[in-house]
Amino acid sequence: MTFSELLIENAGVVFAALGMAIAVFLSGIGSAKGVGIVGEAATGVIIEEPHKFGKSLVLQLLPGTQGLYGFVIGLMVLGKLNSGMSLAEGLYLFMACLPVGIVGWKSAIAQAKVAAAGVNILAKNEDESTKGIIYSVMVETYALLAFVISLILVNAVSF
Amino acid sequence: MAIVKMSKFSLFAFDSEMEDLLQELQKFEYVHFHNLEEEEELIEEGLEAVSVPEGIVEVNEEISKVKYGLDMLAKYYERDTGIKAMIEGKATLTFEELEKKALEFDYHQVYNKLRSLSNEIEKYEEEAVKLNARKEELIHWEGLEYPLEDLYSLRQCQVFTGIIPTKMKDKLNQELLDLEYAYFEVVSEDKKNMYIFALTSKDEEEKLNDILRINAFSAIRLEGEDTPKEELNTINERLRELKDEKEKTLEKVKELAHNVPNLEILYEYLMNKKLRIAVNENFLKTEKVNVIEGYIPTEKVDDFTRIIQKTQKNAYYLEVHDAEEDDPNVPILLKNSKFVETFESLTSMYALPRYNEIDPTPLLAPFYLAFFGMMVADAGYGLITVIACFIALKVANLSESQEKFVRFFYYLGFSTTIWGLIFGSFLGGIVPIPGLMDPANEYQKLLIMSIVFGLIHLYFALGIKAYMSIREGKYLDALYDVGFWYMALSGGIVFLLTIVISLPPVVGTISKAVLIIGAVGIVLTNGRSAKSAGGKLAAGLYELYGISSYVGDFVSYSRLMALGLSGGFIASAINMMVEMLIGLGVVGYVAGIVVFVVGQLFNIFLSLLSAYVHTIRLTYVEFFGKFYEGGGKAFNIFRSKPKYINLK
Repeated sequence: MTFSELLIENAGVVFAALGMAIAVFLSGIGSAKGVGIVGEAATGVIIEEPHKFGKSLVLQLLPGTQGLYGFVIGLMVLGKLNSGMSLAEGLYLFMACLPVGIVGWKSAIAQAKVAAAGVNILAKNEDESTKGIIYSVMVETYALLAFVISLILVNAVSF
Repeated sequence: MAIVKMSKFSLFAFDSEMEDLLQELQKFEYVHFHNLEEEEELIEEGLEAVSVPEGIVEVNEEISKVKYGLDMLAKYYERDTGIKAMIEGKATLTFEELEKKALEFDYHQVYNKLRSLSNEIEKYEEEAVKLNARKEELIHWEGLEYPLEDLYSLRQCQVFTGIIPTKMKDKLNQELLDLEYAYFEVVSEDKKNMYIFALTSKDEEEKLNDILRINAFSAIRLEGEDTPKEELNTINERLRELKDEKEKTLEKVKELAHNVPNLEILYEYLMNKKLRIAVNENFLKTEKVNVIEGYIPTEKVDDFTRIIQKTQKNAYYLEVHDAEEDDPNVPILLKNSKFVETFESLTSMYALPRYNEIDPTPLLAPFYLAFFGMMVADAGYGLITVIACFIALKVANLSESQEKFVRFFYYLGFSTTIWGLIFGSFLGGIVPIPGLMDPANEYQKLLIMSIVFGLIHLYFALGIKAYMSIREGKYLDALYDVGFWYMALSGGIVFLLTIVISLPPVVGTISKAVLIIGAVGIVLTNGRSAKSAGGKLAAGLYELYGISSYVGDFVSYSRLMALGLSGGFIASAINMMVEMLIGLGVVGYVAGIVVFVVGQLFNIFLSLLSAYVHTIRLTYVEFFGKFYEGGGKAFNIFRSKPKYINLK
């Protein structure tokens, strides 16, 4: 058996698993970092005004959703894994994971910056803090679009 | 109409009767004063601004006294916490009750007591600080066993006490060997300094002094009577006494804590009093007469007139007429059905409508309800929301805004349940129910459905725009700004469909024609506000280019599918974990239940939050973007916003 034969026979499932891993870990890194950024900003407010904890928690959670989108795509790919997968299918699933992974990663951080600014609104004018949430959600649209595309790609072609 | 009809009033009233009038109006509540100081015409006519009466200084002083009391006592007042507090809620009072209770309460007595108690505490604290400082100083000399009283008055000898840097120790020891009668003792030492006691005969005093000085000695004169050890004992004794005294005084403060509810009531009363005085800033006056302008809801005009009659014993002049449609100063008060009013917070968060616009709340509510449910789409989550909100509404004493907020989610819970049934999802599929469609596998159908919903939403928004033009009698504007867009969009969509799926060719031809008519119409008419013909055409072309943003709008509705799917998948992932855990035996069973409850609750919270904000986005950006401007002023009721109570 030559190396290329070995590759063609076995690499499919490896690539699919790699895609799954990428979907989960890139978006996970982004969300973790994002939730961290907002969390840091929020602690500053809580020192003086502990009753704002609930609202600050909402802001902190916002960049956390990208990680969940990646997780969902990861699960969908998991459902398709089997050891006899062709190389083409494996590579295809790998590609399908890229949108949610990469967009999720960067958009979570961008969203976190807006949410951290929203914490400022919360600190100075609590009544208007929902507007900070909405600003932050504007960024999430693009993570959602990437999620939709990944979702369609994972299911669109059957091998 | 969902915007409350307003009447504008102008009132000339004598200065002497103002206080009475304002007090009655505050009970009446629904008055919005127009700030006349912005009206330069009137000022040029010789009317003067009313300066805020001096009473406000007094009120402010009172408020700060009450706040002082609240700050001091609040931490000792035992309130119910947690769920019990939520059920109890804040006390609800009418304005009359508030006034009565506030006036009955003799605050000055409490304040004076508090003041003197806090002075006592301060005194104790001050003494303790001093004693502690002395303790710090003496503690180094504890090993010195001479009474301090006669330490420095020995007849034959001279005594030195003070500190020398520890690093000088060896050098000093060496140098002191030269002296005949010197006695030298290190009483204590720390890292940096040693505390020394030295003594020598009066003859050698100079020499010792020099040696010490060279070694960076700095003298400390020890005050006191007994030995340092005794002194320290006395100090500790006194500190203990002070602590007891302070605690006793604090107990007395705590005994006053039952006044907190009364203080809170008094605070609210004073804030309203302050508002009543501060509102004078809005008025203008001649020598004896005040000029007041403002707005009241038209339905309350009679009550208002009666109050004026009652309070004005002398002559007055009152003029009331319906507010003009285009007056930008008319304040906005929304009034909707019990169901729709819960959505008012969404409208006011974006911007209140202007008086000549329509209230978009009843228009956005059904869509909000449907979209929210579709984004969560789990019958279990929906039922939990409905039940939780129902219990809160029945049991807890909620303020008006809280009650609206809970009722808002109560309604949304129903929508969520219905969509959950449609998608056959109950707590992430833990209870299998036959749904009408399976979102995980029929996601394409779901995506198309989402975009069709978007289409309906946008067409509806455009329809409202047309309605507003028609209402103003601008029929052509309705055709130009909406009719042509309907044609272009519908024609374009059907034409694109004929490419994807096979339809009779005549459909393609017709749709193409409609698309072209619409597009040409847009180019020719939508730039009509530009001046030159070339400008009109260019602006029209630019407007047509705006059709590309509709593509973005439609795509944006894919979140209806995406959020539902992602929430559903996370729920089923939690269930998967639970299944695995339950397979592990008894311990696994317990862990499984914990993971299930915590995980699902977390997912409910996250799903509701996402659905709440993403539906807001669809409303604000896609829906409002098509027709709604807003920018109305809020109606400020003549009451201070209560902090500690609910005011009726």
